[in-house]
Amino acid sequence: MSGLNRREFLTGSAAGLVLAGCVRRKAVPCEKLVSVVRRPDYTQELYSDLRRILSEYRLDVRGKRVLLKPNLVEFEPGSPINTHPLLVHAALEAFRELGADVMIGEGPGHRRNTLDMAEAAGYFETIPKFEEIFTDLNLDRATEVRLAHPQSRLQSIYLAQSAMSCDLLVSMPKMKTHHWVGATLSMKNLFGTVSGGVYGWPKNILHWAGIPGCIADLYKTLPAHFAIVDGIVGMEGNGPIQGTAKRAGVVVAGRDLAAVDASCCQIMGIDPHKIEYLKLAVGDVQGLVGSIHQIGEPVESVRTRFDLLPEWSGLRQS
Amino acid sequence: MFSLLESQNPDGGWPYQLGGPSWTEPTAYALLAIRAQESVSEPVAMGLRWLIAAQRPDGGWAPQAAVRQSAWVTAVVALLGPAQLGGDAYRRGIGWIVRESGEETSFLSRVQRLLTGTSQTAPGWPWFPGTSAWVTPTALSMLALRKAAQCAESGRIRARLHMGAACLLQHACSDGGWNYGAARALDFDSHSYPETTGVALLALTGKDSPVVRKACRWAQAQLPKCRTSEGESWLRLGLLAHGQLPSHAPPPARPQRTVQNAALALLASDAIEGRNSFLE
Repeated sequence: MSGLNRREFLTGSAAGLVLAGCVRRKAVPCEKLVSVVRRPDYTQELYSDLRRILSEYRLDVRGKRVLLKPNLVEFEPGSPINTHPLLVHAALEAFRELGADVMIGEGPGHRRNTLDMAEAAGYFETIPKFEEIFTDLNLDRATEVRLAHPQSRLQSIYLAQSAMSCDLLVSMPKMKTHHWVGATLSMKNLFGTVSGGVYGWPKNILHWAGIPGCIADLYKTLPAHFAIVDGIVGMEGNGPIQGTAKRAGVVVAGRDLAAVDASCCQIMGIDPHKIEYLKLAVGDVQGLVGSIHQIGEPVESVRTRFDLLPEWSGLRQS
Repeated sequence: MFSLLESQNPDGGWPYQLGGPSWTEPTAYALLAIRAQESVSEPVAMGLRWLIAAQRPDGGWAPQAAVRQSAWVTAVVALLGPAQLGGDAYRRGIGWIVRESGEETSFLSRVQRLLTGTSQTAPGWPWFPGTSAWVTPTALSMLALRKAAQCAESGRIRARLHMGAACLLQHACSDGGWNYGAARALDFDSHSYPETTGVALLALTGKDSPVVRKACRWAQAQLPKCRTSEGESWLRLGLLAHGQLPSHAPPPARPQRTVQNAALALLASDAIEGRNSFLE
């Protein structure tokens, strides 16, 4: 899909301002635009937020297949464990207004009754005809994909066909701490595209192959990305399942998942340079962070320190 | 029954969801459930042909035809027994299950655990080769081997069943049932789930221990508030296996959203009526 390559430069008014700024700085690459939107609660304003965010990126999605990939983990309605359905519906409406053919798909990591979980999380109530546009990625046709330069121990991996064949994969995670990798955001959320029907519940092969390396491999392997992170109410402590609610009051979005995740880390009070999967995915995290151009709220104004397990205290931003 | 027959693909296999590609697991469960109901010759024959053609040279089955690796679904297929699969295909399938175990109990991992002072665990079965043992594939493999042991006496099968039971008992959670894996992670207790607790109880049929009794109490408490059809079915099957299914248990209430869940609901109903396809 031309026009959606995450490496390409952006056009448009907002990006134009950024580019103009970059010209003056010359040495700084300027392809990493990240939107930080303050939104204290799950309210109807999310619909205009999402429309505005997408307009900032001038996504050419008319007639294209867009797959929204939220994070569904557990049967805990009202808890901060799943991506909020209102945010997903707002994204669905915003992409539809741009003329996209929008589907929703998810392949949870350890509970296998995905539709039951979506129902418990409020997706049926919030999103009209949800079942008609939803694909359980764990039970979708599995496609073996060779990994070009794997960072994990895997040489190939079975992924959901719907995730591989869409024109734009929109990762919509919950902003959470994670007991194995420090933070789980838009890149880690890509685990939901790995076939549970092949690997089982949990997808333990990703643990044996090295979780950070697998995250980096998926980031490089899956088609064009976009990220919309639900940081309105996230999870701190023993995430991604047994943590506690943490209100950060933000939606973070952008074309480059690594740039979005690095920005989320900064918001959470985590040093992105210390996140192993970011290092594996982009190599030069310092360069990545230096190239990020935030629009909307400055990170400092929305920074919300997420509690970390003692094992991860070394990730704290100094 | 009607929905199972309607959802069969033209190639003879069953999808998880209507219109999807054929997968091994729903095909095996659908055949098991249909067989338990009554003879429906042509769909069963088509399904068995699909399954037998999908058997891999190593004796196991892959989850989907395009997958180049035998995995946990072999145990579900083996539940069909030699009369359905044919003696040779069945023996090779059972042979694959007997050879498979979680990577944490491989020779190398055992040596590593010895050197690092980590406690050893009894071998169970993984979802996918080269990974750790988990509750569900361990329970399913034990059910398949229990059936195989009824057909022919084998010391290796008996030994694997004994070790599989030890593995399950080691992994029971403090709240009473089974999580999908470890009972604790990073000093936090794992929570039990209905699906895993039910299938583990079924695999531990005939075993009486404080762990099993506690799990039955947990399962009884969960039955009225279970949120999935799969959980309702496994809880019923597990409790029934220990004579602990309450006579006043509420009827299944959750929608069956996959072929596998529809088949499991039928199998649970049949078991309650005296035809338990997992144990006979």
